[in-house]
Amino acid sequence: MLSRIAESLFWLARYIERAEGTARILDVNYHMLLEESQSSYRLRWEPLIIMAGEEDRFRKLYTEVNAENVFEFLAFRDDNPSSIVQCISKARENARTIRDRISREMWEDINGFYHMATGFDAGEEIAAGPHRFCDRTKFGAQRFHGVTDTTLPHDEGWQFLRIGWALERAEMTARLVDVQYHNLLDEYNVAGAADNHQWMAVLRSVGAYEAYHRIYHPPIEPERVAEMLILNPQHPHSIRFNAAEVQAGLRAVSGISVGGYSNEAERLAGKVLDRLSYDRIGEIFAQGLHGYLNDLLGMCGAIGDDIARTYFYYAVVA
Amino acid sequence: MSVGPAHTVNQGIFEGYEIGGFYDEMFSSPGHPRPPYAKVFQKLLSMAPAHFETRRRLADISFLIQGITFTVYSDGRGTERLFPFDLIPRILAHSEWERINRGLSQRVIALNHFLQDIYGEQSILQEGRIPRSLVYSCPHFRREVIGVNVPHGIHTHICGIDLVRDSKTGEFCVLEDNVRTPSGVSYVLENRMVMKRTFPDAFQAAEVLPVNHYPSELSRILRSLSPRGGTDPQIVLLTPGIFNSAYFEHSFLAQQMGIELVEGRDLIVDGGTVFMKTIRGLKRVDVIYRRVDDDFLDPLTFRADSMLGVPGLMGAYRAGNVALANAVGNGVADDKAIYAYVPEFIRYYLGEEPVLRSVDTYICAKPSDLSYVLDHLPELVVKAVGESGGYGMLIGPSSDNAKIEKFREAIKANPRNYIAQPVVPLSRVPSYDANEGRVGGRHVDLRPYCLYDGKDVTIVPGGLTRVALQRGSLVVNSSQGGGSKDTWVLRGED
Repeated sequence: MLSRIAESLFWLARYIERAEGTARILDVNYHMLLEESQSSYRLRWEPLIIMAGEEDRFRKLYTEVNAENVFEFLAFRDDNPSSIVQCISKARENARTIRDRISREMWEDINGFYHMATGFDAGEEIAAGPHRFCDRTKFGAQRFHGVTDTTLPHDEGWQFLRIGWALERAEMTARLVDVQYHNLLDEYNVAGAADNHQWMAVLRSVGAYEAYHRIYHPPIEPERVAEMLILNPQHPHSIRFNAAEVQAGLRAVSGISVGGYSNEAERLAGKVLDRLSYDRIGEIFAQGLHGYLNDLLGMCGAIGDDIARTYFYYAVVA
Repeated sequence: MSVGPAHTVNQGIFEGYEIGGFYDEMFSSPGHPRPPYAKVFQKLLSMAPAHFETRRRLADISFLIQGITFTVYSDGRGTERLFPFDLIPRILAHSEWERINRGLSQRVIALNHFLQDIYGEQSILQEGRIPRSLVYSCPHFRREVIGVNVPHGIHTHICGIDLVRDSKTGEFCVLEDNVRTPSGVSYVLENRMVMKRTFPDAFQAAEVLPVNHYPSELSRILRSLSPRGGTDPQIVLLTPGIFNSAYFEHSFLAQQMGIELVEGRDLIVDGGTVFMKTIRGLKRVDVIYRRVDDDFLDPLTFRADSMLGVPGLMGAYRAGNVALANAVGNGVADDKAIYAYVPEFIRYYLGEEPVLRSVDTYICAKPSDLSYVLDHLPELVVKAVGESGGYGMLIGPSSDNAKIEKFREAIKANPRNYIAQPVVPLSRVPSYDANEGRVGGRHVDLRPYCLYDGKDVTIVPGGLTRVALQRGSLVVNSSQGGGSKDTWVLRGED
């Protein structure tokens, strides 16, 4: 497989995942706020911008952090490279450069997804609220996932999609837990009362609300939410689950056997997965959640860099 | 050109249809379809205009979802447009196609002979059958490939030859040859697929010859070119990339043939051999179906600023380590001034008379022709010899004085760069006009795609019918508001 094609598959998956993740967070956050006091608005919207890593850009474009501005910025703005519409456009551009290598169904699906997303009237949607747009985005991304799994041979190209999907999702969840924990816990200490709604929203934004309740008993405890999202081996949005996916994908590409590694990406993926498999949530809190998650994010970044070095941009001696 | 008396056809979407003063391919007289169209006409006639409109929309959506679009960059953002598709098919009788098939095969083989000769012994120049100066002054004549042995002596693997039906005689003639990197065949295949989806009942009535064997035929020829032989050569399609207007076609053909679609940056030349960069290291490439022009193929040989090509590619080509289709230097054969000599090539190389007529051509490089052209500009079509896509063209009768004078100066400054031809009154085929909500006669041309394996020429029946959708327009190019039609060649006798 051409290096360029493997790279396009990797990024195609990452962009789709980013679009879906952003849509989920936007939607849940918005609905949670409908039952909130006006004063807490700013507090709730700011983390979303921080999570997207686009604070500076946002401040250049808007003076106020409110629902409408955040929604427009994260969903529609062409000048925000992480906006949902931009992510879907870039995913589709990647698909277009490799449409001879993906299935016809995948191409038609993502092309239709793109036309759907760009066909929304931003003004109208902002007035109506984000639910319709986010819901269509979420299901569009999930459908593409399904179409991919059922129409593309699960060969090495599919493994690059799998790695891209899992790596992006691991990072999204790590950022979500980091930012929300920091934000909500500050408030928790000030208010002195558990804010159940906020934590429910965090779980809902990664589709883990029902699963949480099957494992833990009420009330919702922040530490358990973190445990679920970081360490649960089975939930498809937990960091551990996705680290295992990344490792499995990397191994399938290189053919290396369990216990070994043939490149830096594999070594780091193994290390991340080991930590997530044997650390306890109490230990993580004892050493500091923020530092722990930051470490994980750093390693995820390094895995991505090394995949590029190993498979996409290796030095050619000619 | 005057439009004749108002012959009208009064029914259904054909309400108010005028045959006009041109050869109408569907009707011999108002309400009387020619035999090949009889069944389709009955189908269309029985269809309510609203029903027709519904099917038309279905076809549009189908093209949009499949991403069969071309990109217009005029607004700075890159807007995707559909290549308009007209639902009414263009139909050719079997006997008429047989003749076209014979004429094109003859022409392709003669063009190949010319290229083999001109980059080899140059006997045609030595015998003075074509002026040496005309060949050597052609910007697409590549001295760099003189003496290069191409596999099986094939230069013109893929040709798209533009035909028009002259309303004066009702006969097909050749308008121009495209033997460099002709595009459009993907539309032939996709048009047929969409047509079958949206209009299955029309196919049941007529017996239409299939076209979908094109990719496998092309694949067979490409495989035969491998310098290493063997059963599993590495074949790639080299595209300029996603911003090229024919990108859809490149990826479509690569997918249909199951070959790798590559960009210049995917390839590397090492020790006179071409490799592609894969996730498992470098892999040797044997055959390149290149959709990149000569100028951009290799910055070490041609344009040094090219980012699309592969440094060193020409070295590997000359050494015979990689095959290119089409061959390098083919532009000398489809130069619009050289075009006037193709009938002579047919006589010289094949000892045959041309089956298909060419359009009379004035070569401005010849002093006598030049003075005639300058005296008759308002009546003529003037074309720049190396251009394609309808660019660099003057249509005398429909141009104002300022444009005519601009061309007069340009021709005087560089006569070699221009030829002129009389305006060919193109035939018309009924086509749906969405603005008017009914059918009108629109001018068409035909580009069949010819594949040459060194022995035989294979042409998928029909080709791309391009239609000038604007009423009265003679320009069929997609960049200038043209659309296309599915083209049917009927099975068996008419």
